[in-house]
Amino acid sequence: MSVWIAVAGVALSTFLLRASFIVFIDPHRFPGWFRQALKFVPPSVLAAIVVPGLLMPEGALDLRPTNARLLAGIVAIVASLRLRNAMATIAAGMVALWGLQWVLARLA
Amino acid sequence: MTHASASPRDEFLAGSRRMAPVLLGAVPFAFVAGVAATAAGMTPAQGIALSALSFSGIAQLIASQLIAVHSPVVVTVAAAFVVSLRFLMYSASMAPHVAHLDWRWRVLLSFLMTDQSFAASVRHYADAGDTRHRHWFFLGAALTLYTFWQASVVAGVLAGAQVPARWSLDFAVVLTFIALLVPAVRTRPDLAAAVVAAALSLAAAGLPYRLALVVASIGGIGVGLAIESRGRR
Repeated sequence: MSVWIAVAGVALSTFLLRASFIVFIDPHRFPGWFRQALKFVPPSVLAAIVVPGLLMPEGALDLRPTNARLLAGIVAIVASLRLRNAMATIAAGMVALWGLQWVLARLA
Repeated sequence: MTHASASPRDEFLAGSRRMAPVLLGAVPFAFVAGVAATAAGMTPAQGIALSALSFSGIAQLIASQLIAVHSPVVVTVAAAFVVSLRFLMYSASMAPHVAHLDWRWRVLLSFLMTDQSFAASVRHYADAGDTRHRHWFFLGAALTLYTFWQASVVAGVLAGAQVPARWSLDFAVVLTFIALLVPAVRTRPDLAAAVVAAALSLAAAGLPYRLALVVASIGGIGVGLAIESRGRR
């Protein structure tokens, strides 16, 4: 039951944000400082999702060279900087992870 | 290209075609989002409803992660809200172009708006020529993306249980976010926001229900704003 309520809540909040100025509020009332703040939403939110995913794959900080996700993530970041292409970034990261997992399984 | 007297049909088809390259990235992303919903313990109906009603890969993935760890509903909704704040910016940019439309049109276009259809439509509104039917371009782009997205989510939801854990398909989610993060860091304040948010997300990792995400995001936004306003003085 609580899952259904969460689904409804997520659906409602994404809709209200999308409809905010298109349906409900006059866009002239969009304050400048707020526009400034929103610019920093993507880098902040995405970094806060990505970095724990790479440095804490099992829930605790893991900076060892056996952390395949960290290494594969670095490969993906370099690929993204070089290629500027989302599909190539994802492909490079997945191939790197599978390769590293294969190598690490044989070293262990 | 749309010529001077573009009909609603021309506009709709042009919008639809404009999404073709975008689908290459969106279809696998949607599949991963579907797999994530099933992996989070949601029933197929719940996973499909989450996607059909919220139509946002990032919000779907965050919601799935939080439902997986049995977060309270309030925390799940708050996290989805924070990661969806960018829609406020899109909504404000799109509003003047669609202000003349009937409210039903505006509700429909709002519901279907995503990063890609917004970007393509805003660019199209800036083109020279007849702008009267350009909401049909927006609808064509958005509806095309919606159709392919939902079909791929359904495939992911149904495949979810069959995908072996050793494929580490959940890592594709992190990689998707890397592919969005790297181009989002363009200026020094952007970089500062990202670094501070990353540090806070690690420092606050002990907080329950991934509240670290909300704390880190707000901290990153604050630092970005502070550095930018100092640079301007």
